[in-house]
Parts: sequence; structure tokens; C-alpha cells
Amino acid sequence: MISGWRRPGLPADPGGAVIVAVTDTHRSIDAVWKLESAKIIAGLTRLVRDVGLAEELAQDALVAALEQWPDTGVPDNPGAWLMAIAKRRAIDHIRRAQRLERKQEQLAHELDQQRDEPEQEPERDDVLRLMFISCHPVLPTQERVALTLRLLGGLTAEEIARAFLSTEPRIAQRIAGAKRTLAQERVPFELPDGAELAERLSSVLEVIYLIFNEGYSATSGDDLMRPGLCLEALRIGRLLAELSPHEAEVHGLVALMEIQASRSAARTGPSGEPVQLHEQNRGRWDPLLIRRGFSAMLRARDLGGRPGPYVLQAAIAVCHAQARTAEATDWPQIAALYDALSRLLPTPIVQLNRAVAVGMARGPEAGLALVDALVDDPALRDYHLLPGVRGDLLVRLGRHAEARPEFERAASLARNVAERAFLRRRADAIAEEEPAGVTLGQAAEDFLARPELDAATVRSYGQTMRRLCLRLGERLPLASLTADQVARVFATDWGGAAAKTWNRHRSAVRSFCAFVSLDDLAAGLDRRAETRPPTATIDPAGLAALWDPGLPLRERTLWRLLHESAARVTAVLSLDIEHLDLDDRRARAGETWVSWRAETARLLPQLIAGRARGPLFLADRRPAPARMPAAADLCPETGRRRLSYERAEYLFKQATKALDPTGNGYTLRQLRPREPGRR
Amino acid sequence: MRYLMMSKQSDTTPDETLFVEMGKFIEELTASGVLLATGGLEPSGVRLVSTGGEISVTDGPFAEAKEAVVGFALVEVRSKEEAIELGRRFRKIVGDGESVIQQVFGP
Repeated sequence: MISGWRRPGLPADPGGAVIVAVTDTHRSIDAVWKLESAKIIAGLTRLVRDVGLAEELAQDALVAALEQWPDTGVPDNPGAWLMAIAKRRAIDHIRRAQRLERKQEQLAHELDQQRDEPEQEPERDDVLRLMFISCHPVLPTQERVALTLRLLGGLTAEEIARAFLSTEPRIAQRIAGAKRTLAQERVPFELPDGAELAERLSSVLEVIYLIFNEGYSATSGDDLMRPGLCLEALRIGRLLAELSPHEAEVHGLVALMEIQASRSAARTGPSGEPVQLHEQNRGRWDPLLIRRGFSAMLRARDLGGRPGPYVLQAAIAVCHAQARTAEATDWPQIAALYDALSRLLPTPIVQLNRAVAVGMARGPEAGLALVDALVDDPALRDYHLLPGVRGDLLVRLGRHAEARPEFERAASLARNVAERAFLRRRADAIAEEEPAGVTLGQAAEDFLARPELDAATVRSYGQTMRRLCLRLGERLPLASLTADQVARVFATDWGGAAAKTWNRHRSAVRSFCAFVSLDDLAAGLDRRAETRPPTATIDPAGLAALWDPGLPLRERTLWRLLHESAARVTAVLSLDIEHLDLDDRRARAGETWVSWRAETARLLPQLIAGRARGPLFLADRRPAPARMPAAADLCPETGRRRLSYERAEYLFKQATKALDPTGNGYTLRQLRPREPGRR
Repeated sequence: MRYLMMSKQSDTTPDETLFVEMGKFIEELTASGVLLATGGLEPSGVRLVSTGGEISVTDGPFAEAKEAVVGFALVEVRSKEEAIELGRRFRKIVGDGESVIQQVFGP
């Protein structure tokens, strides 16, 4: 029957037509939803005082629409329809909750009050309140961004995930976490005022600009831009400007985004490569957006007051937009604006941009001096534009030999494919001079290729050498390498690292010096004292909670075994079934014996469950074909791999978070009982 | 993506309510950042025709007045469906008549 239902080659097939109509309606519903959801969720939040609940109720209304509209057609006023359904559910919900609390009288009273409220509180303020909530400082930035796109943009978790090159579950988790936090912290649905307003507003502006920038200069991935995100940010920004018209910074941000967006067509070349501002075809700048940017800027200026960071950045963008050609750019004015901006916002990135402007206004020498002051800033150590700008200034000074390694370094740091290719080309455009003698990169390669090094050492030394090459440039002549340069890399990259990490990198450098027969390049690096705090054991009450039979069998067995045997975690995880002596309650692990007592003995047969050989503790899943472990770490019967230390540790930490007073969770090592007389 | 919505001449004469509702609609679209530009157009206009390199200029009005575009709105939307939905709302306010929605490429 089914095969005859849709005959191929008959486009007018009634079944097919219905399917098309349904998906069309779904797309229209999606469009309506995206236009209306912010208003609906905001209105509901005023009613139920909980953003998470409000969003669920609004989603219920959406589901109702998806069920009914394909049959009945889209109603005349779809927004009002959705709101009416959602409101009815909200009132049902309040009634139910109140009935539970047996406070019906109060409910009637409150509902009456709420029915009066719409006149006092206009709808537009609700949306503004919603913005303040979804950008609330109690939330981590990533959660603010996801929640704002969700609540104000009406985007699904899947759409947000696609825009941020993330996964849907991760975004859904972020949104759920944000809603939970807002409920726990009882964040009120009020507009902040006074000093709080400024602080909260700057959080909203930050989130909007973050969304815009993620779209405008995609930090990773293949495309240079994801225009969808720019559009969302612009829409939310324009909306905010309408809702909060007396804040100069809001108009400043809108002006900044409009003008930046006006260049979007011009900033990528035919094959997707970035085109720098001064090389862009200004005829391709969108005059409509520039005009909108200018009028937003005028509104900000009319409000007066001392210009804030967004107004200053917008003023800089306006300067660029006003120049008919790159040569006509008013660089002295831009440099002056950057001077003011860097006083308000002394971030390394602003300083770097200021260096570019100063380089144009007062010559490359002056710009380079500012860039050089930033070279050791840890915040910029992986920022590709620092060497990029430095290379640019060096080219303008005619110091080509120094510029090339800067562009190479910039290319290796850039995460965006188009940008990396562009920087690589800039490096290649500079004629390569024969490097004098051996370079750092070659020496490092030879150093790591020695046959006497085992794999772990190569990996460890490799990390150190790669970092040195990245920071100092692979093409640096080895002879010119100084202990001072090495010390600076150590200070910026590992200054805050654990003593053990520091010492590991230090010994790698010392070994390298011995290999290339150079004087001690680690001269500027002091060995750091390694102190390990004594491992605290878990108290008896905590232990008792771990033996809960409701926990997974594998975990319970592992923890019991660690506790009873007092053996090393690695030894226990390395156990194979064929080496277990269940009668004698012991097993051989390499050179040592692991022995256990009654509780482990009771659990082991259940865990083994008839398996005859292979690792005792197995991972939950089979390894991906590309990550196949050695045969010894693979169970011949289930095809799963040996449980890793990292995974086992993670699971234990998760399971003990609630028990640990610090909230971090315990480590497996802490399961080992303290031996009397041993510290 | 951007869409241009063009509305053609219709018989309905605008009344007070239409102006109020239209004002509200435009304000809302501007506030939500959707409406980039809008305006009314002189119905008659001027016609330019080039034939074999010769350009002739004729003042309106023209016979097919019904086909003349008398208003436009340039909107920035996420999808074609969103543009259609906005068009629906517009048509609901202005009453009987015809609009055309076309995607704008560039600049």
C-alpha cells in the first residue's frame, strides 16, 4: 500500500502536496515565533516571575500552534493568539501552585492585581526587563550569550549551536544552567536603577557586542563571518536603543555595529580571504547602514555627557566611514580617540589598536614602540594580531627580515582558516633570506628526533620546544637565542603554572642546551620548590555514602578496591581479569601485588560477569576507529577499552562533589586509607 | 537577508484608523530593528526607455495605473517566511490590494 501511495514522477500527488503545505506552515510558525517570542516570554515572566517557567509556558503555546495551525491556518493575529494560550497556561499553573499551598484567597487577590498591572507597566518595559535578566551578572558570559539569543532572538538550541560551532546538548545545558541559576538566586524581574543600572546596562551591551563580534569576526571555523549572528545582535541592539533611548552608550553600541556591519561585503575577497580596512573597496560599503550608524551616533552625541567606551569606538568607526579613500583617513583624530579609549578601557587589545592608529598618525616607529610594550603581556600571548601588527609595522620600517617570522607566527596562531591563509601569504610575500646557520626550529626538530628519547619524553620536551618556536619564531637563528628571551617566554607562558610544570619545561630547556652545546639558556630560570600538600583522606561518613548500592557497579567496585587495597590508582586500573586470584583475594599488577578484602570480593564476580580475560575496568563505550588503543587495553569480548585514569577521576569527582566541603569533589588517591606512621 | 516590499495602487481610500494602525506598525518594526527604510512613491513617475542607444524620457501618469508601485519597505529579516509574515501584517492593515516581495541582493 505504502509503495503505491506516492507514485514517482507525479508532482501533483495529493500526499506530497499536503507534506509541502505542512512544512510551509511550520516555517511560517517559526517566523512568527522568532518575531513574537521575546514579547511573549517577557509578558509571561511578569506573570510567573520565573524566566525558565515563562519560557516553558511559551514553548507550550508554540507546540499548540504547531498542532493547530497546519489545519486551521495561521490566525489573523498570531502573536496575540500565542500570548493568549500561554497566558491561560500561566494562570492555570499559578492556580495549581497556589492550590498546593492552600492560599487561594491570596491567589485571587494577586491575580486581580496582575490584571490591573498591564496598564501601569507597558509591554515594552517587559522586554527590557527580560534583557536585563538574561544578561544578569550572576550568569557566566557564555550562558548570558546563549540565553539572550534564546529568549530575545527566539533561536533554538540547535540554531545557536550551529552559529557558535558548538553542539546542541552543550547549548541546551548552558541555557538550562542559566535558568536554574536565575531561579536559585531569585533574580527579580525589575529594572535596575541608579548606580546598578549603569553596571547592568554595560553587561547587556557586552553580551550584544559579543554576539555581534562572534558573527563579524568568527574566531574559528572556515568562514570569516557568520552574518546570522551579526543580524541578531543588530536587531537586539536596535530594540534596546528604542527601549532605553536615554542611554548614550546604547546608541554608541548601535552606531558601532551598524558601521561595522556596513563593511561586511567589502571585508572579504572573492575566495573568502580577509581584506584589510585600508584596502577595502569603499564603494561596497553599505550606505544605508552607514547612515543608520551616523544617526545613532548623533543621538548618542545629543545626549551629551562624557563619552563612554562604545561611543568612543563608534566615533572611531565614524572617522573611517567618513573617509572617501583610505589615504583621506583622519588618523590623528583616530589616534586621539584611541588615547581617550585606552584611558577608559586599558585592555591589551585596545592598546594594540591604539598602536596601529599611532603608527599611522605618528609613523611606524612610534607604533612599534607601543607594540613592543605589549609583547610580554600574557593576555596577548596567543593573539595572532599582535605579531600581525608588529610584522606590518616592521615592513613599513623596511625591516623585512624581522617582519617575516612575525607573519609566520601570526599565521600559526590564527584559528580562522581564511585569516591563517592570508597571514601565510603575507609571510611568503617577503623574500626569504637564507637564515644564518641553524634555526631554532631545525635544532628543536633534531633535538626531538634522537632515538634515545622515549615517547613520553618526546611529548614532554615537544611541548616546551613547540612553545619556544611559536613565541620566538621557528626561523630565529639559533646563535642569536639568548637566555633573556627564554626567560621572557617562561614568564609570560608559565609564570603562573605549578612548580612542577615550570620545572619540567626548565629541564627540557637545559637538556636542549646540552644537545646544541650552547651556554645555559635556562640561566634566567630558577628551579622552583615543589611542595605537595598531604592528601587528605575522606571521612567515614563520606565513605559510607560512596558504598551506596544505587551507584554504578563499576564505580563501586573500583572505589572499594582502591580503599581496601591501598594500591596505586594506575596499578588498580591496569588489572586484567586473567591475573585475578579471586580465592586468594589478590592480583598481580606489574611488579606489585594488589590485595583486597571481603567487600571487593563480593562485588568482583558481578563486575566480571563471566568475562574470562581483558581489562577488569572497562570504559562505557567502544573506542572510535581512529583512536584504537593497544591490544592489551582492549577487551576481546566487548570491544571496549580500558577505563582511563582521567575518566575514572572525573567520575569520582562528580560523584563526591556533594560530599566535599570545598565543592570540588575528591580525587581517587584520597580513597587510600592513611597508613599509621606514614605521612 | 533583505527584502523589498512594494505595494501597488489600490482603490481603498485611507482613513484615520489606517493611519493610526500603520503608524503603530511602522514604529514597532523600526523598534525591533527590522525596518531599514520605507516611503511612499509618486504614482505617476517618469519613464526612461532605451532603444538602440537612444534614451527616451516620458512623464507619467501611464495607462496601467494599477501596476504602479506607490509604497515600499526595505526590511532585514532572517528568512523569506519572516518577510511574508510582515507582508501579511501590512496587507491586513491596508486592506484589498497587491504587494510584491523580492529579495534584495548586494550591496
